[in-house]
Amino acid sequence: MPEFVSSNIAKEMEIYGYDSVVKSHCRMCHGGCGVLIYLKDGKVAKIAGDPDCPINHGTLCSKGLASAQLAYHPDRLTTPVRRIGPKASGKWERISWDEALDTIAERILRYKEEFGAESIVPGYGTGRENEAVIYRFANLLGTPNVLTAGHFCYGPRIATSILTCGTNPIVDYENHPKCIMVWGNNLVISNPDCYKGEPFSVSLDKGAKLIAVDPRLTRIAARSDVWLPLRPGTDTALALGMLNVIVNEELYDREFVENHVHGWKPFVERVNEYPLNKVEKITWVPAEKIREAARLFATTRPAAIQWGVAIEQQVNCADNNRALMALMGLTGNIDIPGGQMLFSPPKIRNVGQFGAHKMLSKEQAKKRLGGERFRLGGNFAIINPKCVWDAILEEKPYPVKMLFLISSNPVMTRGNAREVYRALEKVEFMAVSDFFLTPTAELADIVLPAATWLEMDYIGDFWKRHGHILPRRKAISVGECRSDHEMLNDLAHRVGQGEYWWDTFEGGLDYILEPMGISWRDFKKMDFIRGDVTYQKYKEKGFSTPTGKFELYSTLLEKWGYDPLPRFREAPESPVSTPELYKDYPYILITGRRLPGFFHSENRQVPWLRELHREPVVEIHPETAEKEGIKEGDWILIESPRGKVRQRAKFFAGMDPRIVSAEHAWWFPEKRDPGHGWDESNINILTDNAYESCDPAMGATHVRTLLCKIYPEKTEGDNS
Amino acid sequence: MKQYGLVIDQEACWGCKTCEVACKQENGAADGIKLIYVSEDGPRMVDGEPYFVFRVNVCRHCDDPPCADACPEEAITKREDGIVVMDYEQCTGCQLCIEACPYNAITFDPDKGVAQKCNLCHHRVDKGLLPACADNICLAHCIFFGDPEEISQTLDPLTP
Repeated sequence: MPEFVSSNIAKEMEIYGYDSVVKSHCRMCHGGCGVLIYLKDGKVAKIAGDPDCPINHGTLCSKGLASAQLAYHPDRLTTPVRRIGPKASGKWERISWDEALDTIAERILRYKEEFGAESIVPGYGTGRENEAVIYRFANLLGTPNVLTAGHFCYGPRIATSILTCGTNPIVDYENHPKCIMVWGNNLVISNPDCYKGEPFSVSLDKGAKLIAVDPRLTRIAARSDVWLPLRPGTDTALALGMLNVIVNEELYDREFVENHVHGWKPFVERVNEYPLNKVEKITWVPAEKIREAARLFATTRPAAIQWGVAIEQQVNCADNNRALMALMGLTGNIDIPGGQMLFSPPKIRNVGQFGAHKMLSKEQAKKRLGGERFRLGGNFAIINPKCVWDAILEEKPYPVKMLFLISSNPVMTRGNAREVYRALEKVEFMAVSDFFLTPTAELADIVLPAATWLEMDYIGDFWKRHGHILPRRKAISVGECRSDHEMLNDLAHRVGQGEYWWDTFEGGLDYILEPMGISWRDFKKMDFIRGDVTYQKYKEKGFSTPTGKFELYSTLLEKWGYDPLPRFREAPESPVSTPELYKDYPYILITGRRLPGFFHSENRQVPWLRELHREPVVEIHPETAEKEGIKEGDWILIESPRGKVRQRAKFFAGMDPRIVSAEHAWWFPEKRDPGHGWDESNINILTDNAYESCDPAMGATHVRTLLCKIYPEKTEGDNS
Repeated sequence: MKQYGLVIDQEACWGCKTCEVACKQENGAADGIKLIYVSEDGPRMVDGEPYFVFRVNVCRHCDDPPCADACPEEAITKREDGIVVMDYEQCTGCQLCIEACPYNAITFDPDKGVAQKCNLCHHRVDKGLLPACADNICLAHCIFFGDPEEISQTLDPLTP
């Protein structure tokens, strides 16, 4: 009788005759799971989760399992290419790495000389753990402009948490919170940022109470004790309403408030501006439900809030984050076991130090695009993308001549996609590093073949706030693909930064690890390194903020000329702020539903992942569909004042009939023309990016809630 | 003899579909052929409460499998350990098993001209390895392999 042991490495090796197994660290999403890569004849034969990894405990997701299909995809770019026809003509020729990098280096030096380093804008999307290397390259070059998703994804969490309590408070699932409030997040599908769905799931199985804040009935919401289906975009009002209950019913942690917060009095005055009858009107959530959730959250210890990107892609970005942190702080859940930990990283050179921010001169930093308008983002070296499009299209306040997009597909993933496309069509020179010729890459002059995570050595989770680092070990090579780290290390030598870089990027890994007294070769032999875990560090050291307190009232926001306390702003387009527009566009469109298998615009060409979800789907309440003459499965048009796109209708009764829920980042790699259907179903054709609609401090583009109309797509000859 | 089967805690499933891809990686079923799949039940109101669950569907390895009775080629057999195995070499593609299965757990591969279903990774089980979907990949830890009666005793009564 066989003995069954899960993740039985020795037996897998024996039965399947694999040659070796490499332990590594996946990066098919924002990163983070320990993996086993089984190899045969030099190729990946199987991928499994690493049972010894403290992040995922052997479990994995569909994306991680399908990584080999990405690495060996027949469409993958495996050599550098140069465009030989007009932009988006699809005409390319292969060139050598030397020719590609020399051409890029020559452009960089020429534009720096003629227009200043600020005319060169490197960028990344969500980041394939290349963020610190790109910032290092940019800062040493002297450009203050790095175009990232940081204005509306994770960057706001870092910026607002540093302002409020010194670092990003991470849910301590290891010690099992007894109450979890999941706020606009579906981590069991997205495994976002510092989190994986697995430990959350285990904490629930151990009996944690669950509160779900989400306009849609996700499975998390369906399983919750209290579901708060709020009107999209009203998160700050809801959080302030809950704070109102906690303050006025005196459910807060007295010791914490008396000794460790800054700005209690004005904070109380602010939350008193949000009584529940008012909040109910704003949010559509019954006052009694809000009260029930607030009481449950405040009276169950330890409790934690699982939050993420959804509330950041809104005009209330920074205040959403700050209001949630106020909930964590007031209830005494900061830095306690099972609460919201301020983890200490291992003592390595951190992303800020490696990113060489101090090497950028003050004079150049002052030129950061939008830095004077969006002062919270600007102070964290983050820019609003429209500033770059305007600098290309209008040459204001100065011309941007060159983009270097490293793992980024902004025509799919940034607000007002048609404007993005126009800017990319106009920019004088654009280089891209990516796996495929994406709709963005089709507009480039040179495209470099990037390595996947299977093809690189790196220090995984180096940039995260959960206190662990894990070795990513190179298992295979594909064509001439190079990691972005190796590529930039090489390019840096060609533009005169050589003294700050290394012969190969292994030197960079050694440099990161050096303060611990170890090298990459040492780290490669380890499973992971974790920073010291201590609780309530603030009791001895205070918080790492200007006042040393937990800043309910932010002294830095005040200094930068912003409201120091969180407040609710109505969305730029909504039934309340634009009632006239609402007559013509009578539905609230939300755009951020997460799907298994995809990561933003990635993976539509990976067979096992596309099979999970073949087409873009827009969810419509059955009552709404009937009213609009839409049948289940119809292709329908979704239209905003900026444009229209098509997605396939699916009935979904788990939300208010006034809401329509579309998917983002859809393009069609199987369409062989160079556009790859980029504007057919791309929800960012509908979103706006006007400065006035962005978060005034962070510069986050408001892409998650807008107004739309919907109607069946008429086929030719259909006059109905 | 010890019996083998899969027990799925449907209430715990989050709908991440990792099991579908784990099965693909192990068994290499063609595009569109799923030996295990996750579907949605809801959203709808049940007793005044919003209801929405995922359902993982896979061969139940029935005690008295109607697919085996329906197969004119005797290509489907139940082993002593309970695993119901479809022998693709014997299958002629008549699809009578698909009609007979009450669980929609058998599908037809038109390219190969044969029916396909979960064989409980018997090629792994016979060597002492867990079926791919049950080998600690599920983030909800909701797929269990072993003696179905023993497992069910440790789970909620809602399991199939």
